Amino acid sequence: MSAERPQASAAVRSRPATEDPPALKGLLIALAVFFLASFLVLPLVVVFVEAFRKGAEGYLAALREEDALAAIRLTLTVAAIAVPVNVVFGIAAAWCIAKYEFKGKSFLVSLIDLPFSVSPVVAGLVYVLLFGAHGLLGPTVRSWGWEIVFAVPGIVLATVFVTLPFVARELIPLMEEQGTTDEEAALSLGAGGLKTFLRVTLPNIKWGLLYGVLLCNARAMGEFGAVSVISGHIRGLTNTMPLQVEVLYNEYDAVGAFTIASLLALLALVTLALKALLEWRYADEIAGTHRR
Amino acid sequence: MDIRIRNIVKDFGRTAALEGVSLDIASGELVALLGPSGSGKTTLLRIIAGLDVPNGGQVFFGDEDASHTPVQHRKVGFVFQQYALFRHMTVLENIGFGLKVRDGATRPSAAEIRRRSLELLDLVQLQGLERRYPGQLSGGQRQRVALARALAVEPRVLLLDEPFGALDAKVRKDLRRWLRAIHERTGHTTVFVTHDQDEALELADRVAVLNKGRIEQVGTPDAIYDRPETPFVFRFIGESHAVSVQVREGKVWLAGQPILMAAGGIAEGPAELHLRPQDVEFAAHAADALPARILSVRRSGPTRRAEIRLSDVEAVFEIDAPAALTVRPGEERPVRILRGRVFPAA
Repeated sequence: MSAERPQASAAVRSRPATEDPPALKGLLIALAVFFLASFLVLPLVVVFVEAFRKGAEGYLAALREEDALAAIRLTLTVAAIAVPVNVVFGIAAAWCIAKYEFKGKSFLVSLIDLPFSVSPVVAGLVYVLLFGAHGLLGPTVRSWGWEIVFAVPGIVLATVFVTLPFVARELIPLMEEQGTTDEEAALSLGAGGLKTFLRVTLPNIKWGLLYGVLLCNARAMGEFGAVSVISGHIRGLTNTMPLQVEVLYNEYDAVGAFTIASLLALLALVTLALKALLEWRYADEIAGTHRR
Repeated sequence: MDIRIRNIVKDFGRTAALEGVSLDIASGELVALLGPSGSGKTTLLRIIAGLDVPNGGQVFFGDEDASHTPVQHRKVGFVFQQYALFRHMTVLENIGFGLKVRDGATRPSAAEIRRRSLELLDLVQLQGLERRYPGQLSGGQRQRVALARALAVEPRVLLLDEPFGALDAKVRKDLRRWLRAIHERTGHTTVFVTHDQDEALELADRVAVLNKGRIEQVGTPDAIYDRPETPFVFRFIGESHAVSVQVREGKVWLAGQPILMAAGGIAEGPAELHLRPQDVEFAAHAADALPARILSVRRSGPTRRAEIRLSDVEAVFEIDAPAALTVRPGEERPVRILRGRVFPAA
């Protein structure tokens, strides 16, 4: 046994190498809390405070307003069309990208992302230019008796464009990661194409799909820019909830504006809660990093 | 059900995977497709199953040309390397899947499906696990469920892709014996793919060795091991070393000495002699032997292996050192070549 032990160095580190000094830690936490409070929580609280400025009666009266109800109805209609369209497109695109090899695949993937990088206003404008009175397809479509611009179909088109990537983006990595062996197994056991899809593929992607639908729905209901350009702001007819908020606010009807805004905020909170729930419960199946 | 494979050609874009493969598999036979990765063995198995479509050639199941039958209708049981169990279904639902998806009249009743699934669960010795999900099973158990699922559809042939590839060594050995037993009980014509020669030799009635999209040799494990027909099979099966030799006057010459008296019909000129560690021994006298130096000695299971260098031809290989003999690295010791296989020089 050696009598001499090496002297403990004076500058022994008392914390793990990656841990910051307490002062810095405190500062960073305070900063984060401050930003969260002032940029997220405060505005949200203001929305509800303003909506209830004239009490519950004022809130309910603003909701019973004819135009408000029309806006809510229109928003639900648009979402009810745009979300299923998205689900079908998303599954089809993810299927063909994940399960087949072809030229131009990566180009297609970037193309699907296009709506994320294009300003929504441009997206709305494109449809106005295409289907407007002097647009490329406008006169033709008009001769069939269809109204697209400044009407519900245009709003749906613009919403579909803006929300296009949501489901596909969620499913592509998931399906790529899962590969095709489950489907091959089902086929080799005698299942046809449809049964394989319904009983094997769909259950494998259901949580990822639901997640994509949730995000898609939130965006479809909340979209402002693209819809604003193409809707023409006809009260009670082509005003969605976000547009109605703007109209009411411009008319100094703060309670009306914030009442509808509160519904949108509520939608956001519910979406957030469901999203958190999905992420917590099925994180591995959504992220697509999971394989047995 | 016997399988005849005729002239299968398959390429993936520019790379050829199979270049005209033919193979006959008798009814009830257990055949291994053995080869290194990229030899085309899995592709061949998938073509038999109908999961891949060949560019040319035919697959016969009995007298029926199954080449254009889609996988759903080929009635094959396919066991995937990664099991491919349906993870949202219980073990019992997995096994019963093939029966459940049948159309109307051919679909057994729910009770019948359950009865047969439970019976298969018994066969693969997983009684009591029917309510588990695949995620709650060990690798070996999953493999058994995958096999039961494949057997449930009463397949004409059973095809297994690297069935034990993802398991650890101990489980692998147990499952090997168990698969052999199942095969003997059910009598299915079975083809399995492996890159593990021990697995192929131990399990199969016959082994087909594949290399670069061609079958090099088909034969019983004994034939493959004892009488390799090509240099590739010799190298791939068991340990081996090759030295350059000359064939003259019907004898094999190494460094100016006749080492083997029969060249086995190989044409005169340069050739290659392939040796296993057991084919060379230390000689008692320098006469009629080749001078060699011992480079190292190491333990290998029950025997000791000596790495030696033939002094005259700069060839290094390993031989068995008998327990009675003391051998030390650095020592000069003559060796004698007892036997070997001569192939024409590549």
